[in-house]
Amino acid sequence: VVGVAERGAVTRALLAIARDVVDDRQLAERICRACVRGLDVDGASISLFTEGESREILWASDPVAELLEELQFSLGEGACVQAARSGCPVLVHDLRHSVDTAGWPMFAAAVAEQTQVRAVFALPLQWGTANLGVLDLYRIRPGGLSEANQRDALDAADTAALMMLTLRTGPDIDGIGWLDPGLFSRAEVHQAVGMVLTQLGVDAPEALARMRAYAFVEQRLLIDVARDVVSRRLRFDNNGPDLTQVGRHPS
Amino acid sequence: MNTLTGDHERRLATAFVSLADTLVDDYDIIDLLDRLVGHCVALLGADAAGLLLADNRQQLRVVAASSEDAELMELLQVQAQQGPCLDCFAAGEPVSVPDLSATRARWPEFVAAVDQHTAFRSVPALPLRLRGHAIGAMNLFGHQPGPIRESDLALGQALADVATIGILQERAIRRGEVVTEQLQTALTSRVIIEQAKGVLAEHAGVSMNEAFTRLRGFARGRNLRLSEVAGQLVARQLAPEVLSSGVSDGPDTRPR
Repeated sequence: VVGVAERGAVTRALLAIARDVVDDRQLAERICRACVRGLDVDGASISLFTEGESREILWASDPVAELLEELQFSLGEGACVQAARSGCPVLVHDLRHSVDTAGWPMFAAAVAEQTQVRAVFALPLQWGTANLGVLDLYRIRPGGLSEANQRDALDAADTAALMMLTLRTGPDIDGIGWLDPGLFSRAEVHQAVGMVLTQLGVDAPEALARMRAYAFVEQRLLIDVARDVVSRRLRFDNNGPDLTQVGRHPS
Repeated sequence: MNTLTGDHERRLATAFVSLADTLVDDYDIIDLLDRLVGHCVALLGADAAGLLLADNRQQLRVVAASSEDAELMELLQVQAQQGPCLDCFAAGEPVSVPDLSATRARWPEFVAAVDQHTAFRSVPALPLRLRGHAIGAMNLFGHQPGPIRESDLALGQALADVATIGILQERAIRRGEVVTEQLQTALTSRVIIEQAKGVLAEHAGVSMNEAFTRLRGFARGRNLRLSEVAGQLVARQLAPEVLSSGVSDGPDTRPR
């Protein structure tokens, strides 16, 4: 009865990316290519906005996509900057429509002056408080994405964030680790991350990395490790994980 | 009797005002939904309440729950891919379930999972809807079987409608489609809040329920956004000690 929508073409393409990608840059290239191929857009790029305002373009599909990123970096404003700061997708159908661009007038003016671009869609790649980057899409023709395209783009951004996070947090557990949906949907995983980051005095991605490494070594599912942490059967300290009680949870 | 009714009405008015109050320009969706489930428990005679919103693939996700038990109930439905909330969301209509044990044939996996994990027996569900389109659903849970009163159901729906307007806000109503942006924000905030609960639970050695109560008490007492306080805890910009005093911080604004 319940219609969970089919995954779109871009998301399926991302899911098919083999685990042989070695770094963020290579992954960004594949994600952008899949977006340009599968969505009604003319170009795509992925940029990082890390703390301390350092910025980096991981990959851009063409010179226009690259120019859009550089303009935002130099002006310090734009759809992508807004998406990175708010953690919320920014979907602008027409850059000449002043209501949509009220938050970044200089960027809108520069784009109008230097490019033919009319529509931009900036999708944050994030996991909780961890901002992994922004996926920026642009189109020369104004107008929104179709409903199916929009759903696919947002789903692809979630998937891409998961992939970048996985790439950064170490080993994967046979077939599950690469895209463990628990990383986004399971409350216990998030709660355990909060507990472990407190135990270790590290940030959230680092806490997740430690939990994943432990799950990998023990050949267990991340969700089971998370449950052990939440029920206080398992603690992490800087000498490694510590099973505080004999009762190992049967998984 | 008269005073009881008067009291109920006063609390009701307070509930609507408090939901409407959150609809200022910089409001926090999670805080709004948390208040909504809180009001449902306080006003509708439910033992617990939980709320699911659809993500961009129309997959339901838990975004608010009055207790960990209620959260588990919602998760069980998501995992079994069946249950009153899912049917309610699919049809955009309320689903009345006075006694869960009478619905084994309808939702076998879900009912079996409920029997194993929780003690809830009645689980009516109400849609969050705009122009005939459901964006999520809310469950009221009762430990005793029995129908919920018509008037309570209507009231629950009215509260859900107010909250829906809050979620979609004026941008969505203007453009008809930006719903996704707000829902995405709610889902991300949820991750951060769960992580912050973990931080507090670990720091103070308390349960996740208690951790959330402290987080909420702190944010409301100081008029801060729940997800902002949570984000600062996770980013370790706010020391958990500040929230760890067992005494309630500031005025308690929970629904009574």
